[in-house]
Amino acid sequence: MTATTTTPGATGKRPPAGGVVPWLGIAIPGRQFIAVWQRDRDVFFRLWKAEVLAPTIEPIVTLLGLGLGLGAYVELGGDRDYVEFLAPGMLMVFPMFGAMFEALFGSYFRMDQHGTYAAIQATPVRPEEIVLGDIAWAASRMALNTCLVLLMLLVLTPWLGFIDSPLVIFTIPVSLLCGLLISGVSIAFTSVARSISQLSYFFSIYVLPMFWLSGAFFPTDDLPKWADIAANLFPLFHAVALSRALTTGDLEWGLLWHVGFLFAGLLPSLWLGIWAMRRRIIRG
Amino acid sequence: MTPIIQAQALTRRYGDFLAVAGIDFEVAEGEFFGLLGPNGAGKTSTIKMISCVQDVTSGLLLVGGLDVRTNDREVKSLVGVVPQDDNLDQDLTVRQNLEVYARYFGIGRQAARERIDEGLALMQLEEKADESINALSGGMKRRLVIARALVNEPRLLILDEPTTGLDPQARHLVWRKLRLLRERGTTILLTTHYMDEAEQLCDRLIIMDNGKALSEGRPRDLIGEHAGREVLELHLPPEETARVVERLTPMLGESGRIEQVEDVAYAYGIDESHYRMVEEMASDPYRVIFRRANLEDVFLTLTGRGLVE
Repeated sequence: MTATTTTPGATGKRPPAGGVVPWLGIAIPGRQFIAVWQRDRDVFFRLWKAEVLAPTIEPIVTLLGLGLGLGAYVELGGDRDYVEFLAPGMLMVFPMFGAMFEALFGSYFRMDQHGTYAAIQATPVRPEEIVLGDIAWAASRMALNTCLVLLMLLVLTPWLGFIDSPLVIFTIPVSLLCGLLISGVSIAFTSVARSISQLSYFFSIYVLPMFWLSGAFFPTDDLPKWADIAANLFPLFHAVALSRALTTGDLEWGLLWHVGFLFAGLLPSLWLGIWAMRRRIIRG
Repeated sequence: MTPIIQAQALTRRYGDFLAVAGIDFEVAEGEFFGLLGPNGAGKTSTIKMISCVQDVTSGLLLVGGLDVRTNDREVKSLVGVVPQDDNLDQDLTVRQNLEVYARYFGIGRQAARERIDEGLALMQLEEKADESINALSGGMKRRLVIARALVNEPRLLILDEPTTGLDPQARHLVWRKLRLLRERGTTILLTTHYMDEAEQLCDRLIIMDNGKALSEGRPRDLIGEHAGREVLELHLPPEETARVVERLTPMLGESGRIEQVEDVAYAYGIDESHYRMVEEMASDPYRVIFRRANLEDVFLTLTGRGLVE
């Protein structure tokens, strides 16, 4: 018998349960999160026909509608058309919705309605790994959607000159990274939602401002200072800036700020999502 | 041999509510053990602690000799859980549900396939393997959840009210499967609020109420000890019941007593002669029932109220 048996019920200094690191408030997730990612992937591939149409068509319709319609009234200076200005943003802004919906509605259903989290909890997978698996899957959705939009842009490039550089392929890892940040924050919000309809608050207070300040539709430099600062706080802004550079091939040192922001935001965003959703899961 | 479960002064608190108020029990390897009690007795909280889904508030809990607080992963890989709700993956097929679950345990593809085939055969679901979950009946879903809980070949199978909501036929099939598993040597922990289920299946059980263990033992022993051999039930109008109770009370021995629950009176420690007498007194003899004592009577004796709420 171990020493613990002599002091059942002892309060005070007990080691935290479930491998939790005290100063982090969570256990460090292990590779078990991959099994959760695989589960989400399997579900996606069973339903994929319904899941790929919207993320492929919506950005292109928006691009052509705004670019060719509104674009006729927009003077950019130089010989660039507005539709060309819009294209790089489409690689990030619409795919972002994929990650966000997955981390808000998808995770809410798995957490609250379908008992998916509860079922996984009875296995050696820890709550931290359930959440990380879900975040990783939501980010994968964003990267996948970026691939779909990229294909469409490549098809249209001979006519509309969207893509000028093979570096555009690196928008896919940028999208994945941005997706991890956005999913981490989104799932943290999901963890405090009491009903599905509350998820729309997040849409209003976070997603919509991020959408308009992303720099995809107009440059933010000429906006009031506060708006420019706010834009810089959103991961999407940095992803769009990088996408613009990778699509045109115009690289410069200033881009390191955007890369730096995304990498610096990665662990805090993952931690926030995991910490918050873990609390909800273990409360049961 | 160390017991598969050892619980000492185990408690679980949710805010101000004490769901499990210090229980002690042990379950030996190969045993079919039951937690019997009404809703809210603390059964589910107890098994959630055993399966490391919820934290132990205080006390000691060892599963397979391992502390659930510090060895959560190892404990969870020893245990298979059949939860109260069928939390199957609606978007996946029957087989995919088991494949996905096997991955959570880190079981390789080949081993998983063999176990899944075996589990589907055991639960008579082979023909449904490629169907979607919505195509299954309630009983089939239950059996699938049991098959899912067996995918990691657990040393301990935990079932939380496995037959609640099933029709009688589906219930009997689930019982048969559980008896089969016991014969194959699986240790089973079952919670239920059905006394017939506990009586039929369990080698030994604890009767719980308000987070406490009221009594522990083999079903037959508990019945003999607390309720005697036979019980007389009176489903009579109130004034008639009062008359019978008045007449019967002085005739009862030391172990005899009468409990009133809602509009039914139960007399314990009686024999057939008492029954004959009451039957003659009653305006409608069909409303006087003489039967063998069961676990519900034990619960009634211990708490003074009915079990199923």
